[in-house]
Amino acid sequence: MNLVGHLSCFVAVAEELHFGRAADRLGMAQPPLSQRIQRLERELGVKLFDRSSRHVALTAAGELLLGEARDLLARADRITALAERVRDGEALRAGVPAGLGGGVVAALIAAYRERRPGVRLDLRELPTTTQVRALLDGSLDVGVLRHPCETRGLSLGPLLDQRIGVLLRAPAPPELALADLAGRDLVLFPRDEAPGSHDDWLAACRRHGFAPPTVHEAHPPFALGLVLAGTAVAFSPRVPDTAEAVWRPLRGEPLAWRTSCAWRNDTVGPAVADFTSVASAVFRREAAMTEPGPRRRVVPRPASGFLA
Amino acid sequence: MRAVAEAFRAAGVTGRLHARDIDTGGVVDVGGDEPVVLASVYKVPLLVAFYREAAAGRLDPAERITLPAGGRSPGPTGTSVMLDDVTLSLRDLALLMITVSDNGAADTIYDYVGRDTVNAAMAAFGLTRTRVTGNGRDLFAGLLDDAAAADLGDLWERLDEPGLSGRLGALDPTRTSASTPAEMTALLALIWRDEAAPPDACMHMRRMLGLQVWPHRLSSGFPFDDVHVAGKTGTLPTIRNEIGVVEYPDGGRYAVAVFTRSLLPVAVLPEADAVIGTAARLAVEELRRRP
Repeated sequence: MNLVGHLSCFVAVAEELHFGRAADRLGMAQPPLSQRIQRLERELGVKLFDRSSRHVALTAAGELLLGEARDLLARADRITALAERVRDGEALRAGVPAGLGGGVVAALIAAYRERRPGVRLDLRELPTTTQVRALLDGSLDVGVLRHPCETRGLSLGPLLDQRIGVLLRAPAPPELALADLAGRDLVLFPRDEAPGSHDDWLAACRRHGFAPPTVHEAHPPFALGLVLAGTAVAFSPRVPDTAEAVWRPLRGEPLAWRTSCAWRNDTVGPAVADFTSVASAVFRREAAMTEPGPRRRVVPRPASGFLA
Repeated sequence: MRAVAEAFRAAGVTGRLHARDIDTGGVVDVGGDEPVVLASVYKVPLLVAFYREAAAGRLDPAERITLPAGGRSPGPTGTSVMLDDVTLSLRDLALLMITVSDNGAADTIYDYVGRDTVNAAMAAFGLTRTRVTGNGRDLFAGLLDDAAAADLGDLWERLDEPGLSGRLGALDPTRTSASTPAEMTALLALIWRDEAAPPDACMHMRRMLGLQVWPHRLSSGFPFDDVHVAGKTGTLPTIRNEIGVVEYPDGGRYAVAVFTRSLLPVAVLPEADAVIGTAARLAVEELRRRP
């Protein structure tokens, strides 16, 4: 029996709870689908569905096996994908977040090519949330994430902080405090791309006396437009000054981009390990990333205390 | 309900909600069958088992016992933070366990009732996905072990190390006391319908849940003087839960269970607390709109 094929029939029926719809989804007719389910039930020695004239319902055994079946199908998909990649030559699918800067991306590609000339680096710019999903479903081998984000099921490379400053219309003093920005609007990367650091930064702004009346969610070119119009400021790693817009450090370094490489727990190979070490070196050298700062202080309160 | 999912997203949490009209059986379900970490919500199954044991004559809720000053389970409230020996009846310890989530009191009740008794009581109600695996002391020890942390302050300060929270068994429903939102609203409905234990015991349980002091979660969603909110919170790093019952003056009674997990590893996150109330109100209003 083709177990994978039969299990995909089982999962389709379990999800649709309707033989007709499941058959449509699988692109087959209903009688052979029913036969396959019966064959699977005989093979496994358990009944997977309760069928009445109107309803199809999973049995307890069906419920129990569904998760395992999905898991097995996902693994089978990965085997096919892996075989394709071996056939087409070794490639590393890597994600990086927006805002790294062209120079950093170029240095990363060059350094990786030097370390692993035989591996094709398939580099894509993807938001953190998309990268996490893609790493978990196997469509990405390694990513560069902005923290905090969901990291269950992932392993992480070394943590690095990138100092964030403010981009504003010239002229500007050599250094500013966040409170000096009071009253200005803020342009920030879209929250959906990395809700953890988006919320983290806004909390830091409020903490330090900057509660922007409006937060625009936008990417660099549009952000620069709003900055040049003089109504808003933007946060970014250091960028070269122009005649109209200048980058300034923030006093006390209240904002940082916390970054690390990440890969799925069970997939570390030499290509991923090399990417992680190359990326860390490039980020330190080209993006002025550093070890994370001192540990934060947490004063426990009863309502948020242990088992409140 | 899309509005509930949107409220969770805006608050920066992943959330699961189940709401149940206690009298009509109508439900609102947003991931209500997903496994969730109970945290201190485990004290509600424990409370039910306690009163069932009392009803069966296997323990005396009025028995006075003394908890010595040293050695009470850690926690931020109640007997856990008191300085001297404490003598109270078992049912007043249960009251502290529910109203201020007292861990010292809860672990004492747990010792009297026993884990297997709690799980057997839940199974007898058909709540087969509700499993209590340990008490507060067990959870505390496991949390520090998994993090290799010296104490809870140490753990909190390091919680922003990416990957750390993923290693904590106490935050993983397959490795700690867990249930589903739908099973928790079913349990509350049993208490409110006098079916979880004899009616006078259910009355005591409802009273305790109604005396809970915390205003920041479920209760905050119902800023109406004529609406009664009873509940029990559950809190662990990044986890904020509350289950409870909301009663309207027209007699409408709704059991709601909200379980959240925040992305930000910070201890004080008012928007994550408040969305528990907001999501509950959206669900209850939906139930009240139905004919």
